[in-house]
Amino acid sequence: MRSLMTAATGMQAQQLNVEVISNNLANMNTTGFKRQRAEFQDLLYQNVQQMGMNSSDAGTIVPTGIQVGLGVQTSSIYRITEQGSLANTGNTFDLAINGDGYFRIQMPNGNDAYTRAGSFGISPEGEIVTADGYSVAPGIVIPQGARSVAINEQGQVQALLDGQTDPQTVGQLELATFYNDAGLEAIGNNLFLESAASGSATSGTPGSTGFGSVMQGFVEGSNVNAVTEITSLIQAQRAYEMNARVITASDEMMSATSNLR
Amino acid sequence: MDNTFMIGLSRQMALRQAMDVVANNIANANTAGFKVESLLLENTAAPTAEQADGPADLQFVDVWGMGRDFRQGELQRTGRDLDVAIEGDGFFAVDVNGAEQYTRDGRLHLDPTGQLVASDGAPVLDGDTRAPIILDPSAREVRIVDGGTIMQDGIMAGRIGVFDITNLGGLSKQGNGRYIQGNDPDGQNPPDPMLDPVVAQGFVESSNVQAVVEMTDMMTIMRSYASVSKFIEQAEDLNRRAIERLGKA
Repeated sequence: MRSLMTAATGMQAQQLNVEVISNNLANMNTTGFKRQRAEFQDLLYQNVQQMGMNSSDAGTIVPTGIQVGLGVQTSSIYRITEQGSLANTGNTFDLAINGDGYFRIQMPNGNDAYTRAGSFGISPEGEIVTADGYSVAPGIVIPQGARSVAINEQGQVQALLDGQTDPQTVGQLELATFYNDAGLEAIGNNLFLESAASGSATSGTPGSTGFGSVMQGFVEGSNVNAVTEITSLIQAQRAYEMNARVITASDEMMSATSNLR
Repeated sequence: MDNTFMIGLSRQMALRQAMDVVANNIANANTAGFKVESLLLENTAAPTAEQADGPADLQFVDVWGMGRDFRQGELQRTGRDLDVAIEGDGFFAVDVNGAEQYTRDGRLHLDPTGQLVASDGAPVLDGDTRAPIILDPSAREVRIVDGGTIMQDGIMAGRIGVFDITNLGGLSKQGNGRYIQGNDPDGQNPPDPMLDPVVAQGFVESSNVQAVVEMTDMMTIMRSYASVSKFIEQAEDLNRRAIERLGKA
């Protein structure tokens, strides 16, 4: 009975679907999180009778043929990189990107990682760093004794020093974009690595063509929509149950055969 | 007497195959662009397996083909820029190792070179040039307007091809949601692009599998199978009793 195996592939696929949905829901309140979607495709087809085959010596051909499908497979788990909503926090170093782009993060091992979760802070040396203490490229140091720090939409970082009236420019943030940012490799902690699928990073100034702008005092929420996720969850669960019913039905058919005397 | 078994067997073989098809439909209930399939049965008249009394032309059950229901699947809104769905007839074309394959699955992606591709990286073909479509990644937005034309910041980047396949029965499924023209395996008569297709951006065409129909089919198949088994059993019972009675004489 092929139908047993076919239904099994269906159950596996729906299980994966539920796993992806549960990860989305778990990260509903994660800053900068991008929801994922499991995409399915039908599996191989078995040609019981090839179409276009001659069905007689007179040259008539089989018009439709018989193809029996063998189930479903996962083609990809796709990250949907659409903009999350921006929430106002008022924190000086909470930076959200409105539009395309990623902050470049210098990992302790010297590699570059990318993130959209811009809840940054200041290291003891005055450098702008992530929550894990990794430096945000290009490594901007806020001078000691700065009264306030302003970051404008173009990513220019200005500090107002004690006893001065004019703010002083201390650095320029940069963003990186990718041809295919859905192809970035997620490594957890809201960080992504460049991959062969994403293409190499293009650096640029925030606000210029093709790059989003930087919003100070905001964080980007996740783009998970609870209602959509719950609806997908219901669909996945029912599909799982239906596949289980197919297995029961196939089993009953086999038992009808084996109970023949 | 053997005829009873043979007819029952032919019915059971067909039912098993029908079950496989239903199982595949249910497994693909959440597969975008999937079209529901069904087995077409026919009666085959055949001479009796042995010379005996009774009807001379027995009707065996035979599978003669498989039908696909190409009715429109529901359009589900996703809001993603590169999710496109065709409303009405037509298929997207992708290039797989130099040969065209056709699909209704419009969940498109960009590869590292900016090419518009399907999820396995096969380039999607342009409706005018039949060549891969290259998008400008630095553009702020991708708009797909009526007819499949892709606009980026007001500049036309290409037109997603929607091809008109006239003989739907001749489509042969390749898996991965793709079809080839089974009656034209060498690609001698490729289908023509449609001039004014309706392509909806931000939508995915879900499969047109109807759960109720499939579950009902499944139950019917299961019950018919069991009743044929019962009927074979009874025929065998009859057989045995005949032998017993004849043995007594």
